[in-house]
Amino acid sequence: MNNTVFELENISYKYKNDLILNKINLKINSGEKIALLGKSGSGKTTLISVLNGTIRPTQGKVKLFNESFEELDRKQKSKITTIWQDLRLIEDLSAEQNVNCGLLAENNFYFAFKNLLNISSFKKAHKYMKLCRLHNSIYDKKIRKLSGGQKQRVAIARSLIQESNILLADEPFNNLDPKLITTIKNLLLENVDKNKTKKSPKTALVALHRLDLLKDFDKVIGIRDGKIFFNIKRNNLKKIHLEKIY
Amino acid sequence: MNKLKLNYTSLSFLPILVCIPLGYQLVNNIHFGGFKLFQEFLISAFNPKIDNEIIITVIKRLNETILIGFFSWLVSIIFGAIFGIISSNIFYKIFNIPNFFYRIIRFFLTIIRSIHEVVWGIILMQIYGINFSIGIIAICIPYIAVNSKVFAEQLETIDYKSFESINQINAPKFSSLLTLIWNPIINTFKNFGLYRLECSIRSTVILGLFGIGGIGTSIFLSFQTLNFRELWTYLWSLAILIILSGLIFKKIKFNTTNKILSIFFIAVFFITILFSFSYFLYFIFNNNFENFNSVSSLFKSSSDLGLFDFLKLILETIILTLLSTGIAISLPPLVIGIFNNNSSKIFIKSFAFLLRLIPTPVILLTLLTFNNPSLSLAALTLGLHNAGITSKLLFTNLDSQDKRNYIAMKSLGISKKTSWLLGLFSQQAKSYLAYCAYRSDIIIRETAIVGVIGSVGLGWQLQESLSSFAWQEVTLVLIAYSSIAIVGELINGKIKNSLT
Repeated sequence: MNNTVFELENISYKYKNDLILNKINLKINSGEKIALLGKSGSGKTTLISVLNGTIRPTQGKVKLFNESFEELDRKQKSKITTIWQDLRLIEDLSAEQNVNCGLLAENNFYFAFKNLLNISSFKKAHKYMKLCRLHNSIYDKKIRKLSGGQKQRVAIARSLIQESNILLADEPFNNLDPKLITTIKNLLLENVDKNKTKKSPKTALVALHRLDLLKDFDKVIGIRDGKIFFNIKRNNLKKIHLEKIY
Repeated sequence: MNKLKLNYTSLSFLPILVCIPLGYQLVNNIHFGGFKLFQEFLISAFNPKIDNEIIITVIKRLNETILIGFFSWLVSIIFGAIFGIISSNIFYKIFNIPNFFYRIIRFFLTIIRSIHEVVWGIILMQIYGINFSIGIIAICIPYIAVNSKVFAEQLETIDYKSFESINQINAPKFSSLLTLIWNPIINTFKNFGLYRLECSIRSTVILGLFGIGGIGTSIFLSFQTLNFRELWTYLWSLAILIILSGLIFKKIKFNTTNKILSIFFIAVFFITILFSFSYFLYFIFNNNFENFNSVSSLFKSSSDLGLFDFLKLILETIILTLLSTGIAISLPPLVIGIFNNNSSKIFIKSFAFLLRLIPTPVILLTLLTFNNPSLSLAALTLGLHNAGITSKLLFTNLDSQDKRNYIAMKSLGISKKTSWLLGLFSQQAKSYLAYCAYRSDIIIRETAIVGVIGSVGLGWQLQESLSSFAWQEVTLVLIAYSSIAIVGELINGKIKNSLT
């Protein structure tokens, strides 16, 4: 059975005159947990943005579950959850309202309306905020009043509430203290039990800077100047690989 | 020799040079026939008429003004928000609609906005006659377009990354739209709503001067009969109304976390939409459209307006705008800077309040008591009224500014005026000029009001053409007005962008 989740065929992305991604070919299978390594500006964020459909590649094809991204409907696309490096929270909304935004895809317009009026249920949001070790005193605080670490955890809670089995994360452990990193990493890579019957395997592509966090990943992809330099099993990662990309 | 270098501070004072040609013409046009009247007008300010009869009239007239002002505000702010949403790029991004429609809607709104509510009022009165609801419609038409621009500008400030983030969740389009626009819309309403209510009341008063009803009509009638004591009773009651509406508005908490209040606001929102649509349909189907024959004669009627005369009117309107803008920009910092002490400040603030309070046609008619009608007099009137508005903004900004630089300069022995200029005003000059650029957009539109009364520019021609039902001329004047306003808006937009 073909269990490919993402397939990138000859992907290039040009911004003005700069080639950010250069002929990338990549397959990500269901349940794979992949760490994406590379220097700042190597193309990690752009690759994630191509995978979640935020930007369209200048050249090449992106497939999700063997179907071209453009042909997918909203429900299918909503199976992907993303944690952005710059978090992209809505500053004027409270922490719990932001987390509830993760539920917008599976709910109707009325839910969005209730969320903005603060009359929707925040039970699920609170559950995930608690898991992310967010204190209940900040639940109703506006994002702009939170610290960097708190904002980071709100963004993670917003992603977790989607209970999606495809995770794209761009340096999700920024601003977190070492103790929290392990907790959050486990939460992010944990298989999803959305229907309370059987846990679905989680597919994850996580951009990282810290090499000590690699141990829970199956594979490592190294990217430099928009090109994939290696795509190997974590156990095979050698110093020479890292020298190629750093 | 050193080259003259212009900075934002000097640019704020430079336009005062317009006073040289303006002053020259005003001095030449002076006549002494009405000085006594002018004196009487000023004295009456401290001795308004107060008796039972006038109090009843004031209450009745204020009621009308509040009704027209409030309903036109409510309808225009709600529809302004709706049009603001559909003329903002976020709407088109979320729904993947081609930008072509966005440009069409924006262009359409720009044209509507470019014509002053008084002009809309005069035209509608010519077609439908004097009617209470005409006042509301005349204000609502340009106000919806003005408000939509403000809302759209706020929506354009939505961080593109927030849009990408919400979009990536792949929620239903309307859910994404609502989540993204909610706070910018609420914040715009909070910050801008009171100001627009004040504008709405002012516009009601000005339309009243042209016969639509409310306190404006009473002001005009008492001016015509030279009953200045009565006139000041109306003006002071109007001042109380504006101050009270400001206080009430500030007391209302637009707390979106209060469920009952939120539901109340939403109910008001939908009822207003429903009511407006019902009224619109009623208006369409129950009005006598016989007068529309006049509109159909648009293409038949001939125009006596020669090309040269027409170009002269356009030029007059442009000069009127430039002169008025010059006064509105430079007068406030100059006066505040020269008379920089606490007692003068109270006097300047009170005077500025009066300039904002007294409708421009009344200022102009008062000045006409000792000066012949001219372009300079119209420019002075418009400039003074707008200087009242720009000085309010300047005072607010200066009062809230960090004064450490000013104190430090004074402690160095630098004179109070120089310390004020370099330590306080210089830091505000850039944002002040940006606001003045926006203000000049409004001045262009307001030339219509002083034009009608002061026999200058296109405003005067519009009144003449409307009185003689020369619809072709009316159309020509409106096109010219729109074009000047649109070009002005484009130029001011560029200036504002370079300043912010």
